[in-house]
Amino acid sequence: MLHSKKLVPYTFLIVPLILYLIWVIGPMAYTFYLSLTKWDGLSEPVFRGLANFERLFRDPIFFTSLKNNLRWIISFITIPVVLGLGLAIALNRAIPGAKFFKASFYSPLVLSLVVSGLIWSWMYHPAGGLINSVLRAVGLDNLARGWLSEETTVMWAIIAVAIWRQVGYVMVLYLAGLQGVDPQLIDASKVDGANAWNTFRHVIFPLLAPVTVIVVVISIIDSLRAFDLVSVMTRGGPYNSSSVLANFMYIEAFNNYKMGYAAAISVILFFISAVFIFIYLWRVTQDELEY
Amino acid sequence: MKRTLFTLLALFMVMSLVLTACGPTATPQIIEKTVEVTKEVVVTKEVEVTKEVEVEVEKLVDRRVVIYNSYASDPAPRAADEELVKMFEEAHPEISVQHSTVAHEDFKQAIRAYLTASTPPDVMTWFAGNRARFFIDKGLIMDISDVWENEGWNEDYPTGFQALSTVEGKQYFLPTSWYWWAVYYRKDIFEQYNLEEPQTWEEFLAVCETLQDNGIKPLTIGTKYRWTTAAWFDYLNMRVNGPEFHINLMLGKESYDDPRVLTVFTDYWAPLIENDYFIDDPAAYTWSEALQFMVDGSAAMYLMGDFLRDSYPADQVGQVDFFRFPIIDPSVPVGEDAPTDGFFVAAQSQHPEDAKAFLAFLGSVEAQQYNADVLGRLPTNMKVDTSNFTPGQQKGLELIQGADFVAQFYDRDTTPEMADKGMNGFMEFWANPSRINDILAQLELDRQEIFAEEQ
Repeated sequence: MLHSKKLVPYTFLIVPLILYLIWVIGPMAYTFYLSLTKWDGLSEPVFRGLANFERLFRDPIFFTSLKNNLRWIISFITIPVVLGLGLAIALNRAIPGAKFFKASFYSPLVLSLVVSGLIWSWMYHPAGGLINSVLRAVGLDNLARGWLSEETTVMWAIIAVAIWRQVGYVMVLYLAGLQGVDPQLIDASKVDGANAWNTFRHVIFPLLAPVTVIVVVISIIDSLRAFDLVSVMTRGGPYNSSSVLANFMYIEAFNNYKMGYAAAISVILFFISAVFIFIYLWRVTQDELEY
Repeated sequence: MKRTLFTLLALFMVMSLVLTACGPTATPQIIEKTVEVTKEVVVTKEVEVTKEVEVEVEKLVDRRVVIYNSYASDPAPRAADEELVKMFEEAHPEISVQHSTVAHEDFKQAIRAYLTASTPPDVMTWFAGNRARFFIDKGLIMDISDVWENEGWNEDYPTGFQALSTVEGKQYFLPTSWYWWAVYYRKDIFEQYNLEEPQTWEEFLAVCETLQDNGIKPLTIGTKYRWTTAAWFDYLNMRVNGPEFHINLMLGKESYDDPRVLTVFTDYWAPLIENDYFIDDPAAYTWSEALQFMVDGSAAMYLMGDFLRDSYPADQVGQVDFFRFPIIDPSVPVGEDAPTDGFFVAAQSQHPEDAKAFLAFLGSVEAQQYNADVLGRLPTNMKVDTSNFTPGQQKGLELIQGADFVAQFYDRDTTPEMADKGMNGFMEFWANPSRINDILAQLELDRQEIFAEEQ
């Protein structure tokens, strides 16, 4: 009897597990296998060992993409986190219009990334775009440039769009976190004579630590996933200056038909992401800090 | 225990459902039901008076289906494409063509998925030459020798186009239209500054300088999708080093770090860029957005295919004329780019007979005549009446007939991967002409890597 009781949950799990195997684990394993082959997507894959990886580590585009992913990560774990936290603190009180501001900062997230990418492409347009028009109107002609066509500006121009979108998301996460902060603790710190900064530094921020960890890890995973904006705005151009790993993989697979090579890129991307995903899962499953 | 048994039983049933759902099912012949309205005469008798009344009667008519995917997504070719489908359906009321148009760039990526699907589209547009050969070699394109035979195309099509469609004695492709590349220019601007169509490189540079001095950008180009830069490479390389060297480079038989390739960039291309003969920020524009600068008169010339005139405002296209890309070295044979487009039937087509009927129509004099009249494309079928051709078409025809060698285009002549790397190289060179040595060294590494794998 005891034995069968243990079995029941597993029998219920069989169907989802099989689906999970077919849709997630299977393709993943197949990608690992493909990364060791040469495959054009039409004929049979030909096994060629680690040759794809050897080529990858000689390919300058791989390192450009990796560097761009790093730039993305670094910008993502600093700017939106600081801005989002600032906004959350500022708007977490009963000031008139707080709801309106919350909604408007969150609204970019409602748009699909493709739409955001297109809108910003128009704003960045060198001749008729909003940004250059405004710069020229106020006499800053020398600052006007081809934002998406110059290798020095293109990556930052795209990251700026991603940040614009991410700030609202981070703000909402922190707003939720602030709901969990016990007002009594804040009152107690005020009674103890702490000023606003000290209250934030020593009471609120430590209480938000679990949120911060999640925000940082989500930001890192989001930056590794970055693809849509790059694909819509530049396709990695000009000459790969704005390429990120996901875009590089896409071009190799669906433009150049190097499925094996693209699989090798995705395997590398998988290992990088896996590190952060494990940190995330480990944090989420941990008991949260209680006072 | 009973409960466990029940659970297992339920599970078994669910599993068997899932499995049956996954099992192969026969692909049914797609038949489209359409309502056809016909007029029938119904005779009604009233007392000694006979009245004839026309009544509309609805009948269900079965029509067989041909699936046709096209990349003709620019407005003018798209309209012509739709008209051709309509013409075919009128001639073959028993067949219905399911026509979908996919944007050019997306089509290039989707075609592999189309071809390897178990029910692929029956008829598709594609590029003649190496790009088609790749799929033919994989057995994904249907042998249509019988259509060529039955339609008499072996007599009606010039040998050059026959060769382009034939692999090992069998025909797989139907080339239907081709267009030339040339330098398009604004006649009125040239007249204003007393300029003539330049024949040589020196004359071309002189024209550029005059225009520049008068505040007009000599050349417009939109390099957002990169391929427009490849036209400049094709022409400069063919004019400087000859078409034979060019095509061998495309086939991976010559190297990119060859000093002859370097000259193309340093002696001919770089001066144009460094003298600011091109518009500012070309990488921000698509080819058609950059056309705007020619329309508004701020730029005068554009190296482009003849489809430029499709996108030019119809009321102003009369101002536009073209000339052969200037000759740089008169001792070198003249090569021109003349990409050829056409159609094929997928090997796995579920409706091969109807697909072939549609293909036969697309290659017919009627269809080609329509395309030639409406779009000004050059037809491949020699029976098409060319007497009504505009002077522009005649000029284009002469341009290509006067060439010693006809290439398809950079991204059609070389492999897709090499084209991708090469065009990135051209873009990087454009932004930083001084980096050309590094760029070519990297391209050479890529070439070795790519063509070693091809073997």
